[in-house]
Amino acid sequence: MRIPKILFLTLLWVCTGTLAQNKQLLYDFTEIPQSLLINPGVQTDFKWYAGVPGISGLSFQAGSSGVSAYDLFAADGIDFNTKVRDRLLGGMTTRDELSGTQQIELLNVGFRSNDPNVFYSFGIYNESDAIGYWFQDYAILAIEGNADRLNQRFDLGDLKTRGEMMNVFHFGVNKKMNNKLTVGGRAKIYSSILDFNSTRNKGFFVTRPGQNNLLSSTFNADMKWRTSGINALKAAENEEDIPGTILKRGFFGGNLGLGIDLGLTYQLNKQTVFTASLLDLGFIYHSNDVENYTLKGDVTTEGVEVILPQDVLDPNRDFWQDLVDNIEEIVPFENNFNNYITFRPTKLYASLRYNWGEQALRGADCDCGPYVTSSNRVPKFVNGVGGQLYMINRPRGPQAAITAFYQRRFGNIMAVKATYTADKFTYTNIGFGLNLQAGPVNLYLMADNLLAYRNIADSRYASFQLGLNIISWGKK
Amino acid sequence: MKRILQSVLFVMLLLGGMSACTEELDFNQFDDLEATPTYEAGILYLEAQEDLINLISGTNVFSQNFNFDAFSSDIFADRVLDGTITFVVENTTSKELAITVELLDEADTVTDTEIFSIEPAPTAIIQREIAYGDSGRSIDIIKTLSTIRVTATNLGDNTSVSTLPDPLITLKSSGKFRLRVK
Repeated sequence: MRIPKILFLTLLWVCTGTLAQNKQLLYDFTEIPQSLLINPGVQTDFKWYAGVPGISGLSFQAGSSGVSAYDLFAADGIDFNTKVRDRLLGGMTTRDELSGTQQIELLNVGFRSNDPNVFYSFGIYNESDAIGYWFQDYAILAIEGNADRLNQRFDLGDLKTRGEMMNVFHFGVNKKMNNKLTVGGRAKIYSSILDFNSTRNKGFFVTRPGQNNLLSSTFNADMKWRTSGINALKAAENEEDIPGTILKRGFFGGNLGLGIDLGLTYQLNKQTVFTASLLDLGFIYHSNDVENYTLKGDVTTEGVEVILPQDVLDPNRDFWQDLVDNIEEIVPFENNFNNYITFRPTKLYASLRYNWGEQALRGADCDCGPYVTSSNRVPKFVNGVGGQLYMINRPRGPQAAITAFYQRRFGNIMAVKATYTADKFTYTNIGFGLNLQAGPVNLYLMADNLLAYRNIADSRYASFQLGLNIISWGKK
Repeated sequence: MKRILQSVLFVMLLLGGMSACTEELDFNQFDDLEATPTYEAGILYLEAQEDLINLISGTNVFSQNFNFDAFSSDIFADRVLDGTITFVVENTTSKELAITVELLDEADTVTDTEIFSIEPAPTAIIQREIAYGDSGRSIDIIKTLSTIRVTATNLGDNTSVSTLPDPLITLKSSGKFRLRVK
């Protein structure tokens, strides 16, 4: 069997990396409306804003904690098989992962209430998220086999992956409680388009010296692969109607879930700010187009075993078929259509910022055009420096990242943020974000792990975000 | 304003300096990947007690065909490169025996034969590795294997009884084969 290249690369992608969701550049970047999606309790001073549909918030992130494309495919003269053995089989562990996330905003609108301390925002965005951990023992079995590995257990739990695509409908409320505290919350309805997960597999395969025969093989499995929406998309592919099916399932025609985001900003003193947010505390109930697969049982075989004379009383007995049937009976591979629940990968952010420097110019003082009125923007310090913490719940437990940042404002037309982030992917992640305000038009661009751009193929982590909004500060 | 312009210029220079480049990659290397794992497992275990042997008059203790489709299935036969079958014959009975293992294809044609003549206990153990593939017999023997025929012939008497506990003749076997997965 020849494994198609695309399948290999997909497996590599799924199984060697992690797609992180950290948006450390956007977090608490209060000039950008999308910061409300990462902390609903952020300090806002907009009168209203509207994202440009489709391009108000684009973000793509991909990361691999194991190998990069360059590690494997560099034209370095090293035999490819050597690289696979040394860098994949020998260089990675089951904690190495590959993951990716993309978000595309379809609608994002915010407006201030009659109560000037309350700001509402709502919208729709499409999100895809996938993660796969390196399946070390499966790879050893596939590339090297089980020979000469007596008593070595191949852990079936090494298969640990999940992925999903959904539309998220959200409505958030942000309220300034007093001069120190701003809180916010966001309710979410998830409309799942597709989901797959196989994260709680247990079991092993081991070859031992046999009791009777030379070798015995034991297969102990408790494995599940759950899916929803996959069959609908397969059918749509046959009918050449994938966009229609995605659209239908993404707008309440698939599986639904509920979630909330919570956040706050607390002014410790005039210049020091603490923020925190908890995102995607929610679940999706899968009952539509569900198909699950299970493999469960415990069997040991030493091959065809014949004890004379009793085993040959039936001259027509098919020992081989009996063995196969017996194994399939003890360890059945089955499918079912049982409903299931998945929990969203919950994220936690927190930051501490120290601000200083002269206050930024108010809108009245800048040459921002007729749409920006004069008196509603909250004066902000020019400089900000601080640290951020990010955590996300993943199938092998929480992952964390720490970030140091410096933010600088240039009047009301530009703000920049530089970050240094350390996480499992890289210790040299320097990011840069740029926010431009031209009249009512707001444009932001952010990129991560910039040092790796010297050789993007060797990067183990990359993210990119951009957005275009129309913002008004109006009058309070 | 001058500071702002300077800052914009700085950012542009920074982004320009950071503009992505990539060293040459050669994805065609994937074509060079060779995945040829080696797998091993038990094949056939057979035992016959000495009292059974003594019950049978004549020399032909038994001859039995065992269907064995593991190697001729497409998933194996299309990929197997080479390998070995290991046989261990142990005789704790009091008589000399001959074990003949024949490999047959689907048309019941004998494609390979291995004969083990084994002395009575206590020194009667034979281990033999049969190689198939480039350095041994034709791998087609394995690819077409459909039946294993085992024949036991009593080269001794029908009356003696071994002094060892639970005397019997056993045939153990395992296979170790290298497959081309990619």
